[in-house]
Amino acid sequence: MSVRIVLVYQSLLGIYGDRGNGTVLAERLTRRGIDAEVLVVEPGTELPEDAQVYLLGGGEDGAQTTAVRELTKDGALHRAAERGAVVFGVCAGYQILGNTFTVGDRQQEMPGLGLLDVDTRRGPERAVGEILTTWRGRSGEEQWITGFENHGGFTTPGPGCIPLADVVVGVGNGDGTEGAVQGSVFGTYPHGPVLARNPALADHLLEIALGTPLDPLPMPEVDRLRAERRKALGH
Amino acid sequence: MVPMSVDTRGQLVRASGPGRARLALAQTAGRLAAFASRVSGRGSGASIRGMVMMRLDPGALGKLLGGRRVLAVSGTNGKTTTTHFLAAAIRAGLGPGAGRVVSNADGANLHHGIASALGEQPRADVAVLEVDERVVADVLRLGRPEVLVLLNFSRDQLDRHHEIKALARSWRDALAQMGADGPVVVANAEEPLVVWAARPAREVIWVDTQSTWSQDAALCPECGSLLTRTDPEQAGDSVIPGHWECTGCDLAEPPAQVRVSGDRIIDRQGRELPTDLQVPGKFNIGNAACALAAAEVFGVDSVTALSGMRTVTAPAGRFSVTTIAGTPARLMLSKNPAGWAESLPLATTDPLVLAIDAVAADGKDLSWLWDVEFEQLRGRTVVCTGPRAADLAVRLSYAGVAHEVIHDLSAAFRSVAGKVDGPVDVVSTYTPFQRLLDLGGVPRTTKPTALPDVGAEGGAR
Ligand SMILES: [Zn+2]
Repeated sequence: MSVRIVLVYQSLLGIYGDRGNGTVLAERLTRRGIDAEVLVVEPGTELPEDAQVYLLGGGEDGAQTTAVRELTKDGALHRAAERGAVVFGVCAGYQILGNTFTVGDRQQEMPGLGLLDVDTRRGPERAVGEILTTWRGRSGEEQWITGFENHGGFTTPGPGCIPLADVVVGVGNGDGTEGAVQGSVFGTYPHGPVLARNPALADHLLEIALGTPLDPLPMPEVDRLRAERRKALGH
Repeated sequence: MVPMSVDTRGQLVRASGPGRARLALAQTAGRLAAFASRVSGRGSGASIRGMVMMRLDPGALGKLLGGRRVLAVSGTNGKTTTTHFLAAAIRAGLGPGAGRVVSNADGANLHHGIASALGEQPRADVAVLEVDERVVADVLRLGRPEVLVLLNFSRDQLDRHHEIKALARSWRDALAQMGADGPVVVANAEEPLVVWAARPAREVIWVDTQSTWSQDAALCPECGSLLTRTDPEQAGDSVIPGHWECTGCDLAEPPAQVRVSGDRIIDRQGRELPTDLQVPGKFNIGNAACALAAAEVFGVDSVTALSGMRTVTAPAGRFSVTTIAGTPARLMLSKNPAGWAESLPLATTDPLVLAIDAVAADGKDLSWLWDVEFEQLRGRTVVCTGPRAADLAVRLSYAGVAHEVIHDLSAAFRSVAGKVDGPVDVVSTYTPFQRLLDLGGVPRTTKPTALPDVGAEGGAR
């Protein structure tokens, strides 16, 4: 049986190379001898009920509202989160996983999917640039998360979830923390795409999805890129 | 041979009285600054010349545009090549009067660059201008172009332009405001955002460019509903064109008057014309179709227009063949995922060189690397070069493409010396491309100067 990774609404939530996270997860399984497939599902088509990973990426205001409406109508993402499948939202995808977010100049409040206990409001200024965080609960070389962020919303994590990481360089949630985790649902701001630059995070998601530890998968190119990006930010 | 009547609307650049004196002074100062820039090796100086001019005379651009027949070209990708096509087509149409055409041929397409090009040729009464997407509204207002070509709209440097729809809206508003005084718009019918922006124009000539990039428009710019799309289909010898339409309102792909059909162009009279261009790539046939339609509005017959376009070889250094560090190379510039999707299939050598950077002029965010199908290079070897070669190496590694990383550009070219019959193919982002032109002794294009961010409202989150 092959592991199914779903790119949720690529045409709405995929403006920052977000499909790359699907590529990375599938390749990391294939290279370990585990069959994997990436399914691109567009609005109007039902999400598969039996996938192990659901990925949501970046998009504009209008796309966010449409995605929430369609995903709520579809229902499969909520059922997937309930059964413990991994849901991983990046940037706009992170924001819509929360309780509420705002759109437009007048900051109209919109309901999110309610899978993460976070709320997002327009921040004092747009966060654009390289971001470096330390991942809570990880130690050593792999605690660094490196990426590129580009978002206007700042996010406040509530008591139902914990932040994913602490910001070293950049903005993240806007309060010194970055991202959020609630069970098997993850949200984070860095795209880049984030899993290409952070293989330990990619494997963490896969281990939760499969319920089993994975063998190490050395990729020297990725180590070099990580070192280069950290150095560029003075760490 | 002039198969048309070319009228000169108004007069040559003639601001009068004190206004003229001020412009003259500004032009002299600008020329001095450009000279200083050239001798210090900081590029052609075109933008600096324009910048100094406009600082001394803020009305310079309007004055310089006044009294000329203006044709403008904008869009995310292909505007430099299309401008070269259009200028060549108009020159062919003017025949012995070809010297009347001025164009910002070096790709300096912001206010300063345009002012600079115009200032250098005060007597040229026909201006064919490449215009940055952000400057379209100003050029419409100040220059009242006869024709405006709108090519396409795609994600480009999202670290600076957060929402492409805000740009499209600025075009749309400017066209709506001008009403009957506005230009004839030549627009790519395959791009929902372009169609939405062009609709208020007094007259639009729709072009079916057979473009294949559709990753950038999923929602209707008019009503926010989902768009549906059918891809073009091969039916025997002919192709059934693709089509898009909105599921919530009447916005849909308009029927085209000018169409690309394979490597031929079908003009408004229904004549199917061979292109035989020297500039490669399917997308450049689409660009030529837009230039052909624009030239026809100006009064140049399609056959004459094409004969001019066939003389275009390396617009602003793109596709130029040169020698770098002793290695023959063919240089291609790509600035965003749509551009890479177009140019990568043209890079056919093994090995090939891909040069990447991510400073402001390239776009600081390299996530677009993951939207480009590098998997198509499997089986060949890529030399990754430029300051951000490591980012490309990770992408290629996940794509299963053999590669090596040589950050230094010259060293990268030395490493492939003798491995390819003929020139090695190179695709590069903006900043390394300029350096490659220097290394290859090709005249440099001009560095874009900074403009304030646009699209800050809402935007990509
Ligand atoms: Zn609509």
